[in-house]
Parts: sequence; C-alpha cells; structure tokens
Amino acid sequence: MIAMIEYLLLAPIMTGILCFFTKTRKQVETISISGSVATLILGLTLVNEVFKYDIIVSWENALFADAFSAFIVLIVSIVGFVASVYSIGYMGHEFNHGILDLRKLRFYYVLFHIFMFTMLLVGVTNSLGLWIAIEMTTLVSALLMILYSRKSSVEAAWKYMIICTVGITFALFGTILTYYGAVKILGESGDALNWTSLIAVADQFDPTIMKLAFIFILIGYGTKAGLAPMHTWLPDAHSEAPTPVSALLSGVLLNCAMYGIIRFYTITTKSTGIAFTSNLLIIFGLLSLGIAVPFIILQEDYKRLLAYSSVEHMGIIAIGIGFGGIFGVFGAILHMFNHAMTKSLMFFGAGNILLKHETKEIDKISGVVKSMPVTGTMFFIGGLAITGSPPFSIFLSEFTILTAGFMQGRYVSSVLFLLFIIMIFAGFFNNISKMVFGTPKPGIATGEVSRWTLAAMAILLVFVFVLGFYIPPGFYEMIMKVVNVVG
Amino acid sequence: MSEIILGSKSVQLLIALILVSTFMILGSTRLYSCVRAFGIQSFLLACIAGIVAYSTGKNDLYVISALTLIIKAAIIPYIFIYIIREIKVKREIELYVNISPSLIIGGVLVVISYYLIKSINIISELSSFALTASMSLVSIGLFVMISRKKAIMQMLGILIMENGLFLGAISLTYGMPLLVELGIFFDVLIGVLIMGILIFRINKTFESIDTDMLKTLIG
Repeated sequence: MIAMIEYLLLAPIMTGILCFFTKTRKQVETISISGSVATLILGLTLVNEVFKYDIIVSWENALFADAFSAFIVLIVSIVGFVASVYSIGYMGHEFNHGILDLRKLRFYYVLFHIFMFTMLLVGVTNSLGLWIAIEMTTLVSALLMILYSRKSSVEAAWKYMIICTVGITFALFGTILTYYGAVKILGESGDALNWTSLIAVADQFDPTIMKLAFIFILIGYGTKAGLAPMHTWLPDAHSEAPTPVSALLSGVLLNCAMYGIIRFYTITTKSTGIAFTSNLLIIFGLLSLGIAVPFIILQEDYKRLLAYSSVEHMGIIAIGIGFGGIFGVFGAILHMFNHAMTKSLMFFGAGNILLKHETKEIDKISGVVKSMPVTGTMFFIGGLAITGSPPFSIFLSEFTILTAGFMQGRYVSSVLFLLFIIMIFAGFFNNISKMVFGTPKPGIATGEVSRWTLAAMAILLVFVFVLGFYIPPGFYEMIMKVVNVVG
Repeated sequence: MSEIILGSKSVQLLIALILVSTFMILGSTRLYSCVRAFGIQSFLLACIAGIVAYSTGKNDLYVISALTLIIKAAIIPYIFIYIIREIKVKREIELYVNISPSLIIGGVLVVISYYLIKSINIISELSSFALTASMSLVSIGLFVMISRKKAIMQMLGILIMENGLFLGAISLTYGMPLLVELGIFFDVLIGVLIMGILIFRINKTFESIDTDMLKTLIG
C-alpha cells in the first residue's frame, strides 16, 4: 500500500511529459495509450487497496483515499482509458485531414494526460486540495477547448473559464468557512482538512456557519457540475471541445464536481440536520431537470443536445442524494457511474457522426444507421439508454432514485421528476431518431471512420448493457461502502 | 486574539486602504490605473499578512506574505501590462455602467456586506471589519466583471474576488496551511497565464477584446 496514490498521480503526469518529447504521430499515440493503460491498472490497484484498508492517507494528510475516492478514481481511469483509445481514431482522422498538425496533436495528448491527472487528484485529496484540483481541471480543459482556433471555441473557452472560475471562488469561500469551523474543534493541523476527521466532528460545527458554507459550496461546485441556473457555460463548452474531451468533461468532470458537493453535503447534514441540505439539493436538481426539458426538445445541434442531457443527469444525481436514505444515495452513486459510461458512449458516437458529416446540425443528418451501421446502432442503443429505457443501466439507477422519492414521502418532487424525465425522453428520442433513421443524405459514403473509435464505444456499451440487469457483487459492495461514507 | 491583532490601528488602516484601492478601480476608466490600483491592493494585503505573521509568530504566514508580494503585487500586474502593450488595447475602458453609478453601487455593496456579516453570528470571534472588507471585495470584483466591456477587466474582477477571499481567510483562520496556500497561489498564477493566452486568442480571432463579440453561442 506504500505510496499507491502517488504512483497513480505520477502515471498521467509522466505520460504527459513523455508525450511532449515525441517526434512522430505513432510515438505519441503509443505513449498515450500505454500511459492510460498504466493509469487504469494503477487506478484499479488503488480501488483494490482501499477495499483492503478502507482509508489510505499520505503526504501529511494532503492525499487521502476512501471508498468514495476510489469510486471516483474508478470512473476517471475507465473513461480516461476509453477516451484515449477513442482519441487515436478521432484525432488521427483530424490529423490525416490536415485539421491538426503534429505540434497540435502532441499538445493535445500532453494536455489530455494532465487533464487526467487533475481529475484523479480531485478524488484523492482533502477538502482544500479538492478546490485546488477542481480549479486545475478548469485551467487545463480551457486550453483543450481552444485546440481548434474557431471563433466559437474561443468564445466557449472564455465563458467556461470566467464562469467556472467565479463559481469556484464561491466554493473556496465555503471551504474556508468549513475549515474555520473545523479549526475551532480540531486545531490547526492537516486533520482539519481531512474528510474522515471532518465528518467525525461535523456534529459540533456551528449550524449557521455550515448553512452559509454549504450554500456557497453548492453554488460554487454546482456551477462546475452544471446544475441550473449556473449551467449556462456547459452546452457551449461541451459542444465546442474536441469530442474525446467532451466525453471526459461530461462523463467525468461533472461527476468530480458533484463529488465535491456530496462530500460537503455529508458534513453539513451532520451539523444542520438533513432537511436543509436535502431540500436545497432537490430544488437545484429539479430546476436542472426542468430547464433541460425545453432545450432538449427544441435542440438543433446534437452535441448541445448531449450537453443539456448532462445538465439533466446532474440534476438527477442531486435529486437522488437529496431524497436520501439508502435507496436514494445508492441510486445517485450508481447513476454517477452509469451516466459517465453512457454519456461518453453517446459523445463518441456523436464524434463519429461529426467526422463523417462535418456538421453539428440535427436536421442535416439522417440515416446514420445505414451509412455507418456500427456507430449508428451503438449510438441508438446509447440514446435509448441515456433516456432511461429498460433494460439499460440508467433505467435501474433512475428507478432506484424514484423509489427512494416515494419511500421518503416526497410525492410532489417524485412526480415532477417522473414528468420531466418522460418529457426529456420524448424530446431526446425524437431528435436521435431523426438522425439515426431515414435515408442517408446524398454524398455520404457508407463506411466507418476508424476502428479505434468503434473499439472504444464497444467497451462502454458492455457497461451500459451489463449493469442494466446485473450488478457484480464486488461492484455492489463497493457502492454500498460509498453509501456508508456519504451517510 | 484575533480581535486584538486585526482590530489594531495599523491593520484597520490597511484594510481601509484596501477598500480605497478597490474604489480606485471602480472609479477609473484607464486600464493602467486599474492595474496599478490592483497592485497596490495586493501590496496592502501582503502587509496585513506580514503584520499578522509578526503578531502571531506563525512563520508560514511570512512565506504567504512574501508570495503575495511577488506574485500578486509584481508578477500579475506585470502580466497585465504586458498584455495591454502587446495587443495594443485602447487604453480607455468601455463601461456598461458609468463611473458615478459604479461608485455608488460599490458603496451600496460595502454597506450590504457589512449587514450580511453582522447578521451571521460569527462577529463575536472575529474582526467584523476585515470580514466586511473581504465580502465587499468579493462583491465589487463580481460587479467589475459584469459592468466592464473589456475581457481584461473580467480577469481583473476575478483577481479582486480572489484577494477578497485571501483577506477573509486571514481574518478567519490566519490563513490556511502552507501547502494549501501554495496550491492556491499556483492556481491563481496559472489561471492568469491561461486567461492571458485566451485574451490573445480572442484578440486574434475577433480582432477586439470586447466581450460584446462573444454572444454567438445561445440556446
């Protein structure tokens, strides 16, 4: 167990540095893929270690891992690995068509792995380290967004940078307030930042201060997690980034921000009682769902469609946590995982379609299932899954959350939740069918873009499909451990 | 303890001067004077951190104070001036809200911050004046961001907010553990560099750094 966390964090950094010194496309791709395999293996090892020891602490409490951290590490390393496989196909295509030169390709891979590092750091650090790591993710991903020097990408990157930095400044204030509360009890040591020690003494915190802190945290990290009404940057950023990055942003980074909220939720709940925190989460969650509805129904750009669907799913996770109880939290945590897998799958499919058709407008695309049979089929299955149709994984987690809502007697919220989901299902499905079915537009040749991209999608499809009706015992145990941490 | 140090005359004076420097930013239409005022503000913050370090005997705070001086009062203003020179921005700031209403709004924000801090019951243990100033800086920084047209002023607004939080952290807990502070400084510095890169990119693609241009992505 020695220095496990450090190794995990070093792997992507080393990969990034090595990528910087490559000379050809082949070299950079080989290093990138082997680096992400290494990250994945180390990530899985860390998960295993946490299973054995429950809590791993190192570096004077600055690095910290428990079941919840391991869960985030698991999501980051799986999606990161798949995205790096996908990148070879996607970025390779852009490279072949002269959209990117070697210098930009290298720059992309360097940033990609540093981005991975920052997201892993979010999971394995203490309360203030979390802030630093989340701010770092903003900085790195803003650079990834301006890889293409289009006007719209620059605009999206600027909005993203400004809105998220301001949001996160509020989160820092909330974190400082929590630290202030903790210092009074624990004294000025690294302990006052550690999640476990914070939770242990959370019931002695002054409720007024914690209420204020939680509001700031919710607004701050909520901005980054794309909760409405702070979500305005999200569709721009997620649709303008290069597709593999869109998948990471939507599938993983949003979860990382949500992780921050949930951590503070646990602490605040201990101090203020459950009513305050869960009501806030349910309100923000329902608002996110409600705001996503019209934008999904009337959407004209399919990458933005997926981005608004992410707003919706973050809302669902917030609602799940807000409903509480074992069912609510279990559903929310499971939903984090399911959403990460399914949304990445959808973005990868959308990326293939984008490469082929060179437009993001839904109306200009049809017959994908004929022109690109494999992508089309997987994209369609992903579309069914993301809207919560059985027998796919998201159905299971959404159903669990809904059950929790009725069990807790929150009938109005549960009914609203159901209503919004049905409306989103209809709108989303309508848009996806327009793209997938029908006859292909003239001038679109039959054939897939790259085998790498299909391999990446196939890996994710396994998760989407299997978790729909079978949760492996090890995975179940892990989620139960996370549920215990969240409380 | 905190009341004694932060309530002492010199610190009160420094905090008051920080507020004055913030109003200098609100009341100026020239980019250079805004940057200068920000530099002064950061310098004053470094002084406060130094005084608190001296009176509490916490050595970590000396490091923080020195870093504030180097990064926020020297390097960051220099980066600003570099950007202004390189992209030959028109030196005048265009405003959505004019100078005099800006100043009045700034004053109102300070008063609101005062009552906000007073209403939550942490005043008894802290110098409420430092916290008021901290809240005012955060809200005025936000106001600067939304009321000025140049992208570069949004960057300055964020930094004012950050300074406000720094002041808040010092008055609440005498700053945070050194490792954390180093991380925050690192983030702020890298953030400023990346925002600088973005501003160059905006200038290259839009041939202007007016945020009016950035309104194409909607719906």
